Amino acid sequence: MSNSEEFTKTADLLLEITTLLMISGANTERINLSIERFSSILNIDTHSWINQKTIIMTLTDKSSQKTITKVQNLPHHALNFLTISEISKASWTATHENWSLDEIKAEIERIKNLGRYPKIVVLVAVSLAVAGFCNIFKGDYLNMLVAFISAFIALLVSQQAHKLKYNMYVRIFLASLTASLVASLGVVFNIGTNPETALATSILFLVPGVALINSFTDLLESNILNGIVRFVVGTMTVLAIATGLFVAMYIFSINK
Amino acid sequence: MIDLLLRLLEVSFWSGIAALGFGIIFNVPKKTIFTIFLLGSSAGLIKFFLLYFDCHVALSSLVAATFVGFISIPIAHKIHHPPVVFSIPAVIPMIPGYFAYETILSIMNFVFIETDEGKRLMLIDAIFANGFQMIYILLSLTIGVSLPMLILNKSSVKSLK
Repeated sequence: MSNSEEFTKTADLLLEITTLLMISGANTERINLSIERFSSILNIDTHSWINQKTIIMTLTDKSSQKTITKVQNLPHHALNFLTISEISKASWTATHENWSLDEIKAEIERIKNLGRYPKIVVLVAVSLAVAGFCNIFKGDYLNMLVAFISAFIALLVSQQAHKLKYNMYVRIFLASLTASLVASLGVVFNIGTNPETALATSILFLVPGVALINSFTDLLESNILNGIVRFVVGTMTVLAIATGLFVAMYIFSINK
Repeated sequence: MIDLLLRLLEVSFWSGIAALGFGIIFNVPKKTIFTIFLLGSSAGLIKFFLLYFDCHVALSSLVAATFVGFISIPIAHKIHHPPVVFSIPAVIPMIPGYFAYETILSIMNFVFIETDEGKRLMLIDAIFANGFQMIYILLSLTIGVSLPMLILNKSSVKSLK
């Protein structure tokens, strides 16, 4: 690496990759591995402190021994496994083909612009998943229909709240409240054999699965701080879900 | 016997659908969708088969997640995607969401509603039973999925070729 401008560009690129991985829902060990791979291609030494909202990174140029330290704030998290997969693949191809800085930059730019599934596909898939949960917890096909409709409306509310940039926990509370209110109608009018099952499963799509799994993965790999942060995020989310359910059950005075 | 088999197949089919739904929210690569469905339904099949024989839910989850963890390695090589991309959505339906909010609901009932001594004691029991059950299932799932890597002492499946 010859000049300091290119060195700054390298630092920005590594920060960008780390940011993308963190907000897409990769665990800390995976992020560290990716940084390590890209660093060795670019002939630099990287040490970093990665957190939910901030990354601090110090890079040392192996040839000139110059160092640079940068701090970056992260945008909102939005799970995206396609990004994780593509960055992982890019890191391997880059190692094998010995990519230059610009080639890596172009690939990351491409990955950033990859699309998501259309909203309607997500709506149907998630509602079907909830219907599936209802079946697993011994609901019949009428209960599954109630669960499907509840989840569908709740996800619509959640997407709308997301568009209006509501606080994440407020959004989850609103979604949970909507799902439970709709599913409570099933209990009130006694639809199907197990209407309570539809009520209990209609909100399961909100459960913070990735946060909770990554939390324990991080704890297992001694990334204690990130593990705790993720567990607290997961707990807060569950609290928001349960509060929505509690309010709906209180309104319809449903006692289990 | 036939009833049991049919019920198991039904449950495993819907487990697969549930895994798939979560995969779509996580925006998984299109090529992994079918894999996620298959892994999710086989994990469901294993879990509910064990549950039927009165195996503890945490142990059943551990076995199912371990299966997902091991089978993910050859699949990762075959479809060229890192294992987390399809192993996490496959185990997500086993996440103890039900236990999680049942814990919080019991806490809320304990704090805001219940005044009867005996029922309050039952709520304390529910808080502990559901809360710790949730933690043990989460541990089982995490350890199960990462077990192959822990045993083989590797950090990436690429080096296992």
